Amino acid sequence: MEGKPYRERVERMKERVISARPEMDLENARILTESFQETEGLPLVVRKAKGFYRQCKEKTVKIWDDELIVGCSGSKMRGGILCADTCWSVLDEELDTISERKYDPFYLRPEDREMFETVIRPYWKGKSNYEEWLAQIPQDTRELRDHGVIYINRKAVRGWGETTAGYSWIITEGLKGIREEIQKEKDKLDLTVPGDYEKDYYLESMRIASEGIELLANRYADEAERLAAGTEDSKRKAELLEITRICRKVPLNPAETFWEALQSLYLYQICIFMEQNAASYNPGRMDQYLWPFYRDDLAQGRITEDKAQELLDCLWIKFSEPCLFQDAQTAEFAAGYPMFQNVCVGGVDTNGRDAVNDLSYLILQATMDVQLYQPSLSVRYSMAKNPNSFLKKVVELIRLGTGFPAFHNDDIGIRMLMNKGIPLKEAFDWNPCGCVETNLEGRLRHYTALADINLGAMVEFALLNGRNRKSGEIISVETGDPRSFDSYQEFEEAVKEQIRYAVRAVVKGSHVIDEVCMKRPVPALSLTFKDCIRKAKDYAWGGAKYNAGNGIILIGIADLINSLAAVRSVVFEKKQAAMAELLDALDHDFAGYETLQKQCRDVPKYGNDDETVDEIAGAMFTFIADEIERYQSKFGTMTPGILPVSGNTPFGLEVGALPSGRNAFKPLADGVSPSGGTDQNGPTSVLKSVSHIPHGRFVQGTLLNMKIEPELLSTEHGLIQMMALLKSMCSLGIYHVQFNVIDQKKLLRAQQKPENYKGLLVRVAGYTAYFVELGKDVQDEIIARTVQNGISVG
Amino acid sequence: MLRYEGASIHDGPGLRTVLFLKGCGLCCRWCSTPESQRFQPEKGFSARLCRGCGACAAVCPAGAMSIADGKIQWDREKCRSCFACVAVCPEGAQKQYGTWMTAEEAAKIAARDEVFYFHSGGGVTLSGGEVMDQPEFAAEVLRLCRSRGIHTAVETSLSVPWKNISQVLPYINLLYVDIKHMDSDRHRELTGSGNRRILENIQKLCGSKDRPEILVRIPVIPGQNDGRENLRDTAAFCESCGGISGIELLPYHRLGIETYRNLEIPYELADCLPPSAERMGEITAFLRTVTSLPVTTAK
Repeated sequence: MEGKPYRERVERMKERVISARPEMDLENARILTESFQETEGLPLVVRKAKGFYRQCKEKTVKIWDDELIVGCSGSKMRGGILCADTCWSVLDEELDTISERKYDPFYLRPEDREMFETVIRPYWKGKSNYEEWLAQIPQDTRELRDHGVIYINRKAVRGWGETTAGYSWIITEGLKGIREEIQKEKDKLDLTVPGDYEKDYYLESMRIASEGIELLANRYADEAERLAAGTEDSKRKAELLEITRICRKVPLNPAETFWEALQSLYLYQICIFMEQNAASYNPGRMDQYLWPFYRDDLAQGRITEDKAQELLDCLWIKFSEPCLFQDAQTAEFAAGYPMFQNVCVGGVDTNGRDAVNDLSYLILQATMDVQLYQPSLSVRYSMAKNPNSFLKKVVELIRLGTGFPAFHNDDIGIRMLMNKGIPLKEAFDWNPCGCVETNLEGRLRHYTALADINLGAMVEFALLNGRNRKSGEIISVETGDPRSFDSYQEFEEAVKEQIRYAVRAVVKGSHVIDEVCMKRPVPALSLTFKDCIRKAKDYAWGGAKYNAGNGIILIGIADLINSLAAVRSVVFEKKQAAMAELLDALDHDFAGYETLQKQCRDVPKYGNDDETVDEIAGAMFTFIADEIERYQSKFGTMTPGILPVSGNTPFGLEVGALPSGRNAFKPLADGVSPSGGTDQNGPTSVLKSVSHIPHGRFVQGTLLNMKIEPELLSTEHGLIQMMALLKSMCSLGIYHVQFNVIDQKKLLRAQQKPENYKGLLVRVAGYTAYFVELGKDVQDEIIARTVQNGISVG
Repeated sequence: MLRYEGASIHDGPGLRTVLFLKGCGLCCRWCSTPESQRFQPEKGFSARLCRGCGACAAVCPAGAMSIADGKIQWDREKCRSCFACVAVCPEGAQKQYGTWMTAEEAAKIAARDEVFYFHSGGGVTLSGGEVMDQPEFAAEVLRLCRSRGIHTAVETSLSVPWKNISQVLPYINLLYVDIKHMDSDRHRELTGSGNRRILENIQKLCGSKDRPEILVRIPVIPGQNDGRENLRDTAAFCESCGGISGIELLPYHRLGIETYRNLEIPYELADCLPPSAERMGEITAFLRTVTSLPVTTAK
C-alpha cells in the first residue's frame, strides 16, 4: 500500500476502528421489542419480519468520514448487538460484569442498562430460545456441559451464523428479482389447500423483509445526500453523491459496477447480522461472483486497479467494525469478538477449472494493506489448477505474520462437501466458513460447530472409571477400574466407550437445539436461499437446498493420541509402571513422580513422523468419524470437525494430569496440531504425522497451526521452498494450515517458557540446534540477530 | 549417527533432510558441533538445566554421578556412557549424543520426506562429523537413497584417504568441501592436521571422470583465516582445479558454545565474535575481484 493514493484514507479509517471501544448496542433489541408488542397474535415469522422491517425503518443510520462502502448493523461503530428474542437473558446475567469481563468486554452505558431492565427484560422473560434450551437440555448433556466435558451452549446464546448467504443472487438480480420469485410462488398458492396458508404468510414475511432492506438502503442514500449537501470538500461531496446514487439503486436493483456490487453485498451483510447476531456470516467466494463486475469496469474504463483496491480496502475495514456479542463463557471458547466473516479466493470454478483471476490477487492485497482481524481470509488452493504466481502471492501474505490466510487444500474441501451429500458439480463451488468449516453459497444449512467434545476428559474418564476429577462425581459411563485391565486394548476400549457416551449426549442436545431453533426463523437470511422461496420454507426449518446434521467438534486431538500411546508403552509394553502407579502419579499431578512423568514424556509423540504413535491417530479418528456419522438428525447425518478456536484453553482447565505427561489444568493441544513443545523434528515431520488423520471425513474441517521460521520467508529461495512445503502438504491430503511466524517476541517467550518451545530449531548451513538448549548468552545473540542476519529459527 | 533434521534450506537445493554422522578426524578450533567429534555415542551434562534431584545418581551403575551441596557432580572418568541417567533425568540435563544406526535405518529416515523432495527438488544431505570417515555406511545410505530417486549431497572436509572418498563418490550428486586454510602449518594449528591431503583430494576429485557438482566452502573465522592473502590463495586454488562450480562463505557462529559446556571441553575461541554482515560483504566483494567463480554467502 506504500505510496498508493488511497493509503491515507485507509490508515485514517483503520485507526478509527482500532481506537473505538466495543460497546453493547441495544437499539435493535428495543425496536424489536416495541414491534413485537404491536404484533401479538400474528405468526412468529411474520412478527420477526415486521420487527426486522421496523429496525430498518427506525435504527440509527450513520455514515462516517472517508467511507466509500456504508452500513452498520446497529447504532455504534463497534457495537455488540443483542438479539432479544434469541438470548436477552445472556446480558441479564452479566449486567454488572460485561463492561469489564476478561474476554471480550463490552461497555454498557447506564442509560442502556436502564432501558434493558425496563423495556427488554420485562417483555422477553421466559420467551427466548436460550431459555427454552435451558429448560429442555437433557440431563446427561447438562451434566457433561456443567463439568467442562462438552460445550454446547453456543447456538443458544446467539443466532444462526455459520452460513453463506446467496450474495451473488442479490447482487446480480437485486431484491426486485428475488421478489419476482416470491410472487411466482405466491401465485401458485390456493388458500383452500391445506399448508398453503402457512406458505402464504411465510412468503409474505419474506416480502416484508425485502422491503425493509430496500428502505434501509434508501435511508443510507438520504444520509449520504444530507452529508453531501453539508460539505465544502468537493472531492468528498462527489463521493457522497455517488454513495447516494448507489444506495438508491442497490440492492433493490441488480448491481452494474464493481462499487455497486460491493455496496449491495455489504448492505445485505449488515441486514442478516442485524436479524440474528452471530459469528460466521461468510461472504465466501468474492473473487468469483465479483469478478465480472471488476472485469467489465476495467474494460469499460470505469475503474482503475488502484480504485478497485481502495474500494476493497474500505470494505475490509467495514468488516472489522462489528463485534460479536456472546456470553462470557462462549467468549472464552472463541475470544477476540470473532465475527469470522470468511472471504475466500482461489480454487476451481464450477467447471472444475482454475478459478484464480486478477481479483483474487486484489483481495489478497486488501488483507496485506489493511491488516485488521477481519475479514477472515481463506485460500482454496488447487495444486493441480492454480498457478504458482497465486501461490507465491499467498506466501507473501503469510510472510507478514498476521496469521492470514487460512490455507485450504481445495481437493479435500471438495471431498468434504461431497461427504455432506452434495454432488461434485456443486461441491466444486464450496467455500470455507467461519474458522475452517465448509459451506456452500445460498444452498446449505446446518450448524457447522454446534458443540465441542473435550477429548482430554475422555481419557480422564477412562482412567477414573467415569468419575470427574475436579468434582469427584461420577458423571459419565463407568468403564471399569483400569487397574483391572490386562491389556492396552481394554484401556483403548474404555476410552472409546467414553467417547460413545459423550457423542450420544451431544447428539441428544443437538436434537433439542434443532427443535428450539424451529422458532428461530430468519426471513431476511432466507431471502437469498432460492430453495427457501421455492419451498416457502425458512432456512431455520430446513428450506435450503441441502441440509446436513450439525457439526460435532473434537478438541484435544494430540492429548488423546499421546495419552493412549503413553499408556500402551509405559504400562503395557515397557511395563515401566503399573496402572495403579500411573493413576497415583496423575492424582498427584506427577509431584513426587518425576521419573515416571519423564518416562511418559519420552514415549514418542504425535508430530514427529513416528509410525508407532501416528497409527493411533489414524485408527482413533476413523473410529470417531464413524461414531459421529452413526447418528442422524432430522436434517441429515451428524458431521465431525476438529477446530478449537480458543476452546482448548478452557477445556484444559477442566482436565487433570494426563498419561501424555501433560500437567493438570494446562491448555489442551489446538486443532490437529501437536502438543506445544513435543514436535522435535521440524515442519515436515509435523505434516507427516498430521496426514494420518483422515481429514476428508472431518467434514467441518480440521485446523492445523504451524510455527514457521522467518528465514524461510525472507529470501526468494526460502519463499520457493515454502511453496514446495505447501504443495507437499496438499499431496499428503491435509486440509488446512495457518502459520505463526516466529519473531523476536516469540523467541523471548521461548526463553522464558522453554517447555513450550522445545522443538524450536536454530539453523545455519551445516548446523542445527534446539533454541531452548542454547545458553542464555547465545539465545540473546540469536534474538538480536533474528531476521537481520539470517539465522533461521523455526 | 549424531542426529537428523528435516526441511533444511541451507544444505543443498530444495528442502533437505540432513543426517549428521558422528566422528571426525579434525579438531577445528571453531567447531560448532563438538559432540560430533568422537566416533562413539557419548554423554553430556548440562549443569544449567540440572535441579539436583539425584535421580541420575540413583541409577548410575558406575557411581559416576553424585550429589554435593545439592548439585550433581559428574565424574567423567568413571562414566561408562551407558545412558541410564539420560532415561531418568526429568529436566533433560543428562544428554546422549549419538546413537548406533544401520544404513537401512538412516535411509528410511531420509525416505520419509520424499514428498517434500518431490515438490522442492530437494533430497538428503549427509553432514557431520566427517562423512568420509564412515565410507561403507555413507556409501550404503546414499546408494539406498539414490535407488529411490533421492538427490544426494555430502558436506565433507575430505581430510581422509582417497580410498574412502572413492567408495562414496558414485552415489553423490553434490559435494560441499571446506577449505579452512591454504597454509598447511596454519591449517595444522587451527584443525590439528595439515591441508596437503585435503587439497590433493580436491584436485583428484575435480579430475575424476564422474565427479559430482562440487562447491567449496570457506568458514570465515575472524582473525584466523580471513586475511586477504589466504582468501586470494584459496580462490586461486579453486580456480586452478577446474571442476569447482562455486565458492560459498560460511560466517563463523558460536551456537555450539553450550555443547562445549555440556561436554566440559574448553572453548578456545571464546573471544572471537561472528563477522558482521558488512565484513562478509567486504570479503565477498574482494573474492569476486580475484576469481571468476560465483561467490555466495551462506545463511
